[in-house]
Amino acid sequence: MPITNRGREILDRLPPTQPRTSSSIGCEIERHEELCVGCGTCAKKCPSGASQRGDTFDVQQLLGTPADSRRGALGAALRRIARRDPVGLVEVPPRVTIYRTILYDAERCLGCGACARNCPAGAIEALAPHVEVTS
Amino acid sequence: MTTARPTATRGGAPAVATTGTVALGADETRAGHATAERSIVAFCCRECAYAAADAAANARTPLPPSVRLVLLPCTGRVSPLHLVTALAEGADGVMVAGCLLGQCHYREGNFTAVDRVAFVQRLLETVGVEPERCQMFTMSAGEPPKFVAAVREMDRAIGALPPLKRGAV
Repeated sequence: MPITNRGREILDRLPPTQPRTSSSIGCEIERHEELCVGCGTCAKKCPSGASQRGDTFDVQQLLGTPADSRRGALGAALRRIARRDPVGLVEVPPRVTIYRTILYDAERCLGCGACARNCPAGAIEALAPHVEVTS
Repeated sequence: MTTARPTATRGGAPAVATTGTVALGADETRAGHATAERSIVAFCCRECAYAAADAAANARTPLPPSVRLVLLPCTGRVSPLHLVTALAEGADGVMVAGCLLGQCHYREGNFTAVDRVAFVQRLLETVGVEPERCQMFTMSAGEPPKFVAAVREMDRAIGALPPLKRGAV
């Protein structure tokens, strides 16, 4: 994912010796959807609204999650009683906070890494920007 | 509450016989599968539904033998994983019994439960399972008849459905 303009601007202001850890603006955000529990913490912490809580949930994706997670356990249980393959999306009621689909808009992302720091499932990774900063 | 029983309740052994498979209505016996074979898991809130169940048991009101009660501190604790796992592990139906809406002792736990039950119903629907297998009921602690009626209604609804088939793990 390319660095945003704002991230580049801020990086340009920093001296090149400044260590660029995952907390600096301009990180590359990598989302691991198979680990996401859909709690919406990233959406709450996001300063720019790049992460948002969606209203739908893809059941097909639930069935493909790793079995050692709680969401994978739900998928396994659902697969046992399933009579047919799920089609389409399921609407999520407002108070169901888990298993919700998170919409992520890379264009609006500042790369601040707030989502990665606060993610309880470790599903978001903030990679240090690999941008050549010339002094 | 239930049909009058011919056995005398005064003198002799108290009404031990009223527990068990007795006093089920006619429509409960001509079910899709027998009452004793099906099982319903009832997730009950400690503050109301479980207290109502307790009072109903003290009054020796017979419950359908299919029901199993699970005590929760609040129905807000129940997660879609609990409900679906119960179905996958052998329950033919799950019911969540909580406080009247707006009277949750933890303010809004039962609203959360209502939404989660609705979500599980949608999940079940997408995989071709009848959504009636998961239902939500509300009652106050002082309404044991309402709890018994809810369990009977659930038992009737599940009895009308074929047994839930389960695949391999």
